[in-house]
Amino acid sequence: MSLSTPAMDPPYGKRMDTRTAPSQTVLSDQPVISLSGIDLSLGRGAAKVHILRGIDLHVDPGETVGLIGPSGSGKSTLLMVMAGLERPDAGEVVIQGTSFNGLDEDGLARFRGRAIGIVFQSFHLIPTMTALENVAVPLELAGNIDATERAARELQAVGLGERLHHYPAQLSGGEQQRVALARALAPAPAILLADEPTGNLDEATGKQIVDLLFAMHETRDTTLVLVTHDAALAQRCGRTVRLRSGRIDG
Amino acid sequence: MDNAFPLALRFALREWRGGLRGFYVFIACVALGVFAIAGVGSISASLSDSLSRQARVLLGGDVTFALFQREATAQELSFLGNQGELSRVATLRGMARTAHDDFTLIDIKAVDSHYPLLGELTLDPPMPVPDIFAQRDGRYGAAVDPALLARLNLKVGDTVSIGQTSFQIRSSLTAEPDKLLGGITIGPRVLISIDALNTTGLLQPGALVRWTYRIKLANPSEAAVTQSTEQARRQFPQAGWEIRNSLNASPQLERNISRFTQFLALVGLTALLIGGIGVINAVRSHLERKRGVIATYKALGASAAMVFGIYLFQVLLLALLGSLIGAALGAALPYGVLMLFGHLLPLPIDASIHPGALALAFGYGVFAALAFALWPLGRVRDIPAAVLFRAEVSDEMPPPSLRQFVTPILAMALLAAAAVLLAYDRKIALIFVGVSLVVFLLLRVVALLTMAVARRVPRPNNTMLRLAVTNIYRPGALTPSVVLSLGLGLAALVTVTQIDANLRRQFSAALPERAPSFYFLDIPSAQSASFSEFVTALAPDARVEVVPMLRGRITAVKSTPAEQLKPPSDTEWVLQSDRGISYADKVPEGSKIVAGTWWAPDYNGKPLVSLEQKIADGLGLHLGDEITVNVLGRNITATVSNLRSVDWQNLGINFVLVFSPNTFRGAPHTDLATLTADLSTPADDANVTKRVAHAFPSVTSVRVRDALKSIGDIVTNLTLAIRGATLVTLAAALLVLGGALAAGHRHRVYDAVILKTLGAVRRQLIGAYAAEYALIGLATAVFGVAAGSIAAWQIVTRLMHLSFTWEAANAALVAAAALALTIGIGLAGTFMALRLKPATVLRNL
Repeated sequence: MSLSTPAMDPPYGKRMDTRTAPSQTVLSDQPVISLSGIDLSLGRGAAKVHILRGIDLHVDPGETVGLIGPSGSGKSTLLMVMAGLERPDAGEVVIQGTSFNGLDEDGLARFRGRAIGIVFQSFHLIPTMTALENVAVPLELAGNIDATERAARELQAVGLGERLHHYPAQLSGGEQQRVALARALAPAPAILLADEPTGNLDEATGKQIVDLLFAMHETRDTTLVLVTHDAALAQRCGRTVRLRSGRIDG
Repeated sequence: MDNAFPLALRFALREWRGGLRGFYVFIACVALGVFAIAGVGSISASLSDSLSRQARVLLGGDVTFALFQREATAQELSFLGNQGELSRVATLRGMARTAHDDFTLIDIKAVDSHYPLLGELTLDPPMPVPDIFAQRDGRYGAAVDPALLARLNLKVGDTVSIGQTSFQIRSSLTAEPDKLLGGITIGPRVLISIDALNTTGLLQPGALVRWTYRIKLANPSEAAVTQSTEQARRQFPQAGWEIRNSLNASPQLERNISRFTQFLALVGLTALLIGGIGVINAVRSHLERKRGVIATYKALGASAAMVFGIYLFQVLLLALLGSLIGAALGAALPYGVLMLFGHLLPLPIDASIHPGALALAFGYGVFAALAFALWPLGRVRDIPAAVLFRAEVSDEMPPPSLRQFVTPILAMALLAAAAVLLAYDRKIALIFVGVSLVVFLLLRVVALLTMAVARRVPRPNNTMLRLAVTNIYRPGALTPSVVLSLGLGLAALVTVTQIDANLRRQFSAALPERAPSFYFLDIPSAQSASFSEFVTALAPDARVEVVPMLRGRITAVKSTPAEQLKPPSDTEWVLQSDRGISYADKVPEGSKIVAGTWWAPDYNGKPLVSLEQKIADGLGLHLGDEITVNVLGRNITATVSNLRSVDWQNLGINFVLVFSPNTFRGAPHTDLATLTADLSTPADDANVTKRVAHAFPSVTSVRVRDALKSIGDIVTNLTLAIRGATLVTLAAALLVLGGALAAGHRHRVYDAVILKTLGAVRRQLIGAYAAEYALIGLATAVFGVAAGSIAAWQIVTRLMHLSFTWEAANAALVAAAALALTIGIGLAGTFMALRLKPATVLRNL
């Protein structure tokens, strides 16, 4: 599979437009992600497992952070907590000055839709939608009337301008992950979270995706937090955070 | 969000690009239920429309006046003649005799030269009506039912005698325009002229002859019809005639059609309820497949309401599609029935499209599908976006919220309310809803019990049997959905087959012990004693019972005119037409006094009457109340002296109304007799018929077996319709069962592959699965048979007022078939699972 060099210029302005911008003003000297005293257990009764134990983590705007650690150390769960997909038992999550404690499920979903982009290990594209429609989904959910046009520009930006009307099943793994990246970036989020983005890809394709991820981070000025097992990939991040048994190591 | 509605619809439609796979059972379930309801509604509406459209022809005129045991007086005739063109028709039962001395019971219809005022007779060979009846070579003519020709081995041109007169058969009678509203005929029809009837000697005083005067108005407008009817009521309040007009030709028939179609509609509703389980299963497994997609929507910012909306739209669209298919098939049903079973229908149907009936069924379908789908759909809100990070998320779901319970319950309650409010008989519909609810809950209990028992039984040593037992209660087990779908279908099937078997037994199997073999009608009261002697000599061991019989119509109850009474549906019939009445000086056999006292043998005071207790209750009559009955054109008001309970099922002579003998002293009447004897062969029967006919030419012999057979034939046709509707229910149950088993296919494949990897052979796996299906099927069958039998017992004894015998063989057969089907359908899916190569599956696990 040949991979064309994607256009690195943002398809539209660097910052999000007023319709999708979070209501809070982000001050450059304040962390964009602030986790304080996060504690989380999953399961019930005998099956209850203490996953996160007193996590404090602050990420500045534009920073790249690699979350590493052995399996079961709580990396992905921590990412879920940042995304508002999992509520901690204790502690506070503040993203872009907004505390998650004050938001209900739908409030979290709306906030996530405009401020946080997520890239999954298994892509999680909707199989019955074309690449274009998949990318348009968050924009449509946010009420953008030009969702399709913006989605097309995002796909061109990741080098898939020729694949707009292909369904996920008609795309390679690398192409699917690029669609997922375009989808995550489409609402121009301030934060991009990636959970093992190369975990389901071969080495060469994985490298291309990582290059694209970092390029996008650069051009869009987003904050990037990624979970990985790959030490080399973690090395490319500005900061590495190691988790062990639910605690930040060192 | 302003655009939430179109957006949810857009997303819903996008998800269907992969086709409707997984939803065929959903669509079929809804379509089947709607088909049944729409079909029954369309047929019912077609029948009612046909009745209204053809009311004048079926009635034989615009207004008809029926009198029993008497002809109209000159004054009445003059009034009737002034209304419009008048035709006179007499109907009675009699005996036909051939030259070879063969006898058979016949239904005689004697007409004047104006007959038929409306519609046409169909004759073979065709001929002008006057030619049928005209005297030729000193013989009158007759047109006869082809069944009479076959029964007596006659042909057109032969001679047949009725009473003292011989008739030449001029033509066979293929169709009468006014046959339907003439009542049930037991013998074949013989059409003769009134002039000829007068010569037969059958018209003795008190003979059971019904005289109908039909009027064709010059202007048959509604106003003219109403005016004519009202005028007759006003001018002749004592006439005691039964007036019918084209605006309301046969309220009884229409009521019966409504009642019968309601039963069928309830069977259709049962199909829809069973289909509802299919809807729940289909939606549940769809959402299971879509967990990832749902989580993705949520991760991308969709609110729970938006995700719920997407899947609600899908369900709505599927429900619309299923209902549309069902309604289309239902609309076609009257045409299909007419084509296939038109010859069996006692009514002339003009098949047509009935938008009202179709819309109702369509509404039921959409609403029921939504109501059922809301159960699983409510859980969409609980699927966490975190499932996308599957490695660290358990399958646990939070307990259902109050809203998830309340919304579907509210929808179900609305559905039940609609079913009750739209029903012809709301009480029965309410019982149906109650029973359905109880059965649903019981089936849930049966499933839980089955799982609990499986969990607690000692673990078998045999691995495969252990697998079978543990499969019954493991998470995601088939038990609840199989028990619910199979249990409901089986209960419905057992109910119908038990009712069916009981009805057939009542009308075609052995007669009740001590039931009479013969009824003899129109015995001149003067010859009563000699008739008894003659019959006793004929069959010395026989028991002969002779009672006086008249016909009378209840015209008022406690001074309230009968037209203004609104008795319960099981009492209505007593007011609808004239009834047989009698008088007696002692309590009739088969009756028991339950209130009041019998009059003294020599009682000579104000008329007294003994009433059957249930009818008295229905009419609100108590001891000492008054009831007015018109007999032979006279209104007789009698005081209720006592109430009786009557055992109708011994088929002996019994009457709802029995008067004190002084009431009818001097009134012309005939007697009715029964002969109870062990006449086991048709030859014995024929001998009695022949000898009685020779000795008493005016007496009509009715063989009880023949009469029951005639009624049995009608019942058979009705049960045919019930069976048809039940087949739809059964099909729905099988669909749901198939769907439920298919939903477990993924687990089957997983188990089969892992076990094959560990060394299990196909035979062992098939054995394990067969044992699992058999155990679930057996638990369900036991419940289905019990629930169905109880329901049938209640319906037969309390609604139909007949005796109930549990048909064990029938129930066992249905249960065995259900068991075989469960194992069969289950194993069909298992074979598919076993065919898959383990490596292929393991790679994708």
